[in-house]
Amino acid sequence: MRHNWIMSSTTMAPRHGYLATGAPGPSPAGPPRTQPATVLTVIAAGALAAILLWWHQTPSIHGLGDWLTNAGRLTGLLAGYGVVVLVALMARLPPLERGVGADQLARWHAMGGRYTVCLVVTHALLITWGYAVTAHTGIISQANALLMSYPDVLMATVGALLFVGVGISSARAARRRLRYETWYYLHFYTYLAIALAFSHQFAVGAQFMTSLPARVFWGGLYACVAAAILWYRFVTPARQAARHRMRVISVRREAPGVVSVVIGGRHLQELRAESGQFFRWRFLARGLWWVSSPYSLSAPPEPGRLRITVKALGEHSHALARLRPGTRVLAEGPYGALTSAMRSQRRVLLIAGGVGITPMRALFQTLPARPGDLTLVYRASEPGDVVFRDELERLARARGARLFFVVGRRADLGQDPLSAATLRARIPGLDQHDVYVCGPAGMTSAVIRELRTAGVHRRHIHHESFEF
Amino acid sequence: MRRVILAIVGTAAGLVVLLSFKTHSTSAAATPPAAISGTSGTSGTSGTSGQASTPAGSSGGSSSSSSSSSASSSPSSIAGAAKTVTGTAADTIYGPVQVQITVKNGKVTAAQAVQYPQGSPRDQQINSYAIPVLNQEAVSASSASIDAVSEATYTSGGYVTSLQSALDKAAL
Repeated sequence: MRHNWIMSSTTMAPRHGYLATGAPGPSPAGPPRTQPATVLTVIAAGALAAILLWWHQTPSIHGLGDWLTNAGRLTGLLAGYGVVVLVALMARLPPLERGVGADQLARWHAMGGRYTVCLVVTHALLITWGYAVTAHTGIISQANALLMSYPDVLMATVGALLFVGVGISSARAARRRLRYETWYYLHFYTYLAIALAFSHQFAVGAQFMTSLPARVFWGGLYACVAAAILWYRFVTPARQAARHRMRVISVRREAPGVVSVVIGGRHLQELRAESGQFFRWRFLARGLWWVSSPYSLSAPPEPGRLRITVKALGEHSHALARLRPGTRVLAEGPYGALTSAMRSQRRVLLIAGGVGITPMRALFQTLPARPGDLTLVYRASEPGDVVFRDELERLARARGARLFFVVGRRADLGQDPLSAATLRARIPGLDQHDVYVCGPAGMTSAVIRELRTAGVHRRHIHHESFEF
Repeated sequence: MRRVILAIVGTAAGLVVLLSFKTHSTSAAATPPAAISGTSGTSGTSGTSGQASTPAGSSGGSSSSSSSSSASSSPSSIAGAAKTVTGTAADTIYGPVQVQITVKNGKVTAAQAVQYPQGSPRDQQINSYAIPVLNQEAVSASSASIDAVSEATYTSGGYVTSLQSALDKAAL
């Protein structure tokens, strides 16, 4: 059996190290963060409220036409509510970002988005069919009547088609063919779709037409989420930009295709950024200004300095290597739930895959741990992919932490070097560790499976994985 | 894939459950007419019917609208007589709806929309179906707790409002 774990040669001599105070415990009361379960409960409660709205307003139903129409009304209500939830998930609400994490929010949004688009289509079909049955007309003529003579239905139908279009463009098969830029801009059409479809809810929606309280409640819901979007995605970044005035200080090539960018600004400590977190960066340079991309801090935040390290994977990241010092930067954040606040055990294992080393590098430096309690496993496909080797070894030496480099493609190695058996063998007392995992989505889920098999409790596994 | 199937089946099942809860006959849902004999005028025993003529099949009858309301204020001493009451017209975005009912012994024996939107072919098509249904329901329920006709949401809303006003005038 080949051992592919290369232990960094300089560790295993426990020395007094940086931040040797290792008292984990309940996380200090920091900025508020919500638990994922709480968020899901709130969302479910809202859906129940929407259903109750229908329940309260519907005396009784009989006959196929009534059944179809009311099923259409229910799906319509849930779709109208679902849209609000989807937008709220993406509104960058700080408690959600800190407590649930941007990657999990994005996954929920994707799943919920597919479901809501299906609800919209089902609603349209059921209403048309139900009306046709009740009025004893054909479906085509009924659809025509709905589009032409019912107020706002034509607009809503255009909105529905936009939803479907955006949904199709976000499917995995389409994403592979589309440039990120194109997909990103297409996705904004959802706002237009929502605006188009909103009025028909009140104009022809049975639950709203005759009930002012219902209209007030529903309108209030939409208004709140719109306000949140405005505040957290437009006003707050603008205020932060004016306050911190971030600029690029230097750009350094770490390895072929990997650059570190150091960004400076004023009053950066007010951001309360922690190791393991990321910002969404918008560099005001040609070709880079139109999108904000998330990059983790690759070093703990220092007064006046933030460092990110980026691997050139696409147009955008390539362009970062050509950034000029002095370029203005807009940063939103900090975001990310992968911080020391998550930790509950004395011993910690950090597993980084490929570009996932960046937040781990920062945590490796500042996570409170006694000598011998902290381990970092750095998985890379090729030796050239390994970055920060010197920094990591220096930190391991200073902190008395263990450092392993696991290099090589799985096909070449013949087996999974991060299998449950290997992990258990290499890391004594694995089930008493908190494990932080960060890497590409495939690797992360595979490692998590192996960790669970090796006896690590789900509560002690903290991970972040992005698919963009 | 498993999640997709779960979502589809779960949604369909949820819809079916919710809809079945609401599926029962109208008579059970409608509020039974309260004891009317105690209220104005008509004392308990139902006498033989007096005038029972209801002006049926009117078209835009302005004549009947004049015969409104005084029924409630003056306790009519004619027991068991049928009286015709017209409610105030209720406005909908397609036009006003006005309902006239004939009340006898505390029950609605006939209902008729004397005014309803007929401006466009669409209105005529819908209401030619919806109005008779609403009339029939008003008689069965003897109250304004009737179901809207799915396709004629506006007309139904106006019908119910006007019907309620007619019932109020008839002190039902």
